[in-house]
Amino acid sequence: MNLTSLMDVFTILVFFLLVNSGSVELVEAPKDVKLPESRVETKPRETVVIFVSREDVLVQGKIVARVADILEDQAATIDPITARLAELRENIVGPSTMAVAASQEVTILADKAVPFVVIRKIMSTCTGEGYENVSLAVIQKPSQVAAS
Amino acid sequence: MARRHHYKRRTKDAHELDVTTFLNLMVVLVPFLLITAVFSRLTIVELNLPSSTGGASSAEEGFRVEVIVREAGIEITNGKSVIASIPNQDDEFDLETLSDFMVELKREYPEHDAASVLMEAHIPYDYLIQVMDIVRSVEVPMDGEEQYELYALFSEISVGDAP
Repeated sequence: MNLTSLMDVFTILVFFLLVNSGSVELVEAPKDVKLPESRVETKPRETVVIFVSREDVLVQGKIVARVADILEDQAATIDPITARLAELRENIVGPSTMAVAASQEVTILADKAVPFVVIRKIMSTCTGEGYENVSLAVIQKPSQVAAS
Repeated sequence: MARRHHYKRRTKDAHELDVTTFLNLMVVLVPFLLITAVFSRLTIVELNLPSSTGGASSAEEGFRVEVIVREAGIEITNGKSVIASIPNQDDEFDLETLSDFMVELKREYPEHDAASVLMEAHIPYDYLIQVMDIVRSVEVPMDGEEQYELYALFSEISVGDAP
């Protein structure tokens, strides 16, 4: 059996996939959060990450609040998030947590269907805590513009 | 005898490399990498937020583009009065008309880059991104070709609550 061509294909595939996976995603979208699509091209940076799914709000991987509670609450800021952000600033363990704490930036990965008021409250909580740069994570939509 | 025959055959094509082990490795690696590969690219929208303590009101002097997204439709104001209001069509925001208005506004005020997107509380977040996309840039088809060209409109976008 002559396997040379198969080998060629596999070798090329393996190298392609290795190179592709080399650009590790800094923030990985969880499966249950459906991000909106946009045409922006800015790359994500290493920042504090806030996930907003349909039910829960996670700050750096830890559940801190529920979306339903935020909707009911009349306050402009969300206290558990404030507490968690302050905690993040104090708990510097390694270089990656230090980069996160020093960035003073927040990336919000929110589900499409989350009401705007929730996002708005999270953003004002972040700016109140000193994280002035807030970014919203989106999936890049293929632009119709041809590369020129 | 059979054994001898086997031995003979091996010496005959000894020039060929034995790739079976390598192939095994490939067969394992390819599906593994295919599964872990991320094909959707994640990007970020950077925001221009009003600084911490709620100074969101547009107390700035002069002209300012504001797009107010309400449940009944979209309104465009210049900071003081409503320029245009775009009612919903079939319970969907009429984003194409909004895009046309944005192009018109940019043509009138080419030196302005700032705009605000103000939203009512219970509108899904998806529309914020869609409206911001429209306010930020427009894709214009080039004549006679199937290509599109991207024009920047109001690139500094702030976000806030609808009044």
